[in-house]
Amino acid sequence: MVVAMAWLFLRNDAFLYTNPVGQVTRVSEKRTQKITDEHQNSDFIMTQKLTVKLLNHDKKIIHVSNSYAQSQVISSRYRVGDQLLLENIGSNKHILSLKRDAVMGALATLLVGLLLIYSKWRATSWLMASLVINIILFGLTLFINVHSKNANVLLLFSVLAILFATASLVLVLGKTLQMGITLLTTLVTTTLTIGLLLLVLRLANNGGVHFETMAYVTQVPETLFMAQTIIGVLGAVMDEAADIVAMQFGMRREGITRHFSDYWHAGMSVGREIMGTLINVLFMIFIAETMPMVFLMLRNGNNWTYILDQTMNLGILQTVISGIGIVLAVPVTSALVGWIMARKVTKS
Amino acid sequence: MNAIGILVIILFVLMIVVGRSQGVKAFLGLVCNFFAIFILIILINWQFNAYIVTAIISVIILAVAIYLGSDNTEVTNVAFKTSIIVVAVLMLVAVILQYFGQFQGFTTENSEELEGLSLTVGLSFRNIAMVVMVISVLGAVAEAAMAISADLNEVMQRSPNMTGTSLYAHSRIIGGQILGTAINTLFFGVLGANIPLLIWFVRLRYPIAMFVNAKLLMTEIVTMLLGMLGILLSIWLASWFIVRTNVKQQKVRIKHGRDV
Repeated sequence: MVVAMAWLFLRNDAFLYTNPVGQVTRVSEKRTQKITDEHQNSDFIMTQKLTVKLLNHDKKIIHVSNSYAQSQVISSRYRVGDQLLLENIGSNKHILSLKRDAVMGALATLLVGLLLIYSKWRATSWLMASLVINIILFGLTLFINVHSKNANVLLLFSVLAILFATASLVLVLGKTLQMGITLLTTLVTTTLTIGLLLLVLRLANNGGVHFETMAYVTQVPETLFMAQTIIGVLGAVMDEAADIVAMQFGMRREGITRHFSDYWHAGMSVGREIMGTLINVLFMIFIAETMPMVFLMLRNGNNWTYILDQTMNLGILQTVISGIGIVLAVPVTSALVGWIMARKVTKS
Repeated sequence: MNAIGILVIILFVLMIVVGRSQGVKAFLGLVCNFFAIFILIILINWQFNAYIVTAIISVIILAVAIYLGSDNTEVTNVAFKTSIIVVAVLMLVAVILQYFGQFQGFTTENSEELEGLSLTVGLSFRNIAMVVMVISVLGAVAEAAMAISADLNEVMQRSPNMTGTSLYAHSRIIGGQILGTAINTLFFGVLGANIPLLIWFVRLRYPIAMFVNAKLLMTEIVTMLLGMLGILLSIWLASWFIVRTNVKQQKVRIKHGRDV
């Protein structure tokens, strides 16, 4: 119900846009030519004549033409009912993008709705609050990064990482000792991991790492890559540390006197169980992301070694680093919590 | 010297030192999944039906991730059953999303990487967009299903006479915690990965309209939301399965008690 309402609202939100928005009301299509490229791939180029009804500003009807290849690698085929984001160039309008906000909104509403049904209103709102705060922090950091000429990117994103970790842990766990320890172990492990990465890169002289293959680069790719890695490692490490610390605190609630070794062994065994699947999560996301490019390069007659080198180089590096972070989190957390707990016991 | 090679070796050594036999298995699991994806890519490149190939390879990847992750068959069976159902549902959702959202392929922002490549390759990138969405949620779904069933299993072992309702209450608390941390991981992962793209958008002064409609960014966000949906569904379904079997077992036990 709510999902349908969100969908309907976002289908009719054209008045919010400053760009012209239109809806396709008629399509006439014809096949213009058959192409065979130098790698013997054959494809069809189609031309569409779209009749578009403008939904904001002047509610005129205009005609736009669009051509696309059957494989739709970079071009899109539009259908009746699709809404388009247009752009004025001189007196002509051309298509900027498909309007996707209704799909996105419907999916987001579905997710939030299900979250609300599953967990209580309070828990969901804390989770949402932490996501929103993190997005705002992230936006601010980007703003500083873009607008100050000589910002230290590494420092900037390290501060962001600390703020991220604090904000999300406080909102999920509350201001407790458990939160404090989780935060501490997360930061220690992340620092260790990034330190290790920098050390290895320095020793190997960046050998085998192709920073130049990075996409969408607008500033020095090396520091940008570090910023990416810090945030990614932080998320993974935080997840693992939170799970281990939660279990060890459960032990403290149940147990009477526990020694360092008890906490250590329990923490290690929990960590061992979750470490593999957690690395798998990141691995799957990264590898899925590179797939379109792999397909395209394969079809262009490149061999696998070249493809792996060009498309997966930085991704593999990042996944491996996150993996190291996840594994390191296990002993660091177990030891740190054990040490703090054991000291508390002897004190009291 | 190759820095990536060194780091892979460091990861492998660390996994063995910290995880012992489980670490070796986890590493093997990663290698297996890498090959599974490799086969998926080759088969789709040979124009096999993308839907069927994805379904089969997904089952294989889930099986590897789950059955190599733990030795406890009660945990793994529930987790496997759950993940298969959840991934099937998500695949359906992905097809619908792809139909309306057209998340396929590349955009003009990619033109630098695309230089010199033929773009008329005769392979449906619409299907590939769907494949990407499905593959990227597999890990998250398997992880959430494993975590909840392992935790609930431990609760049941600690207090075997727990009633269905109190087990259910436990599942809600544990599920909430797993949900929170897992969603955060996914969120940070996606945010981190997209720093360059977002800086690009800000620097080149994209209109706000593009932030909520542009294909590149939306593809990433759709993948993230789909992953979150997968985590939620698998926690939900796995706890339901466990509570149901628990209630059934108790009924059987009560019956036995009467018969004796």
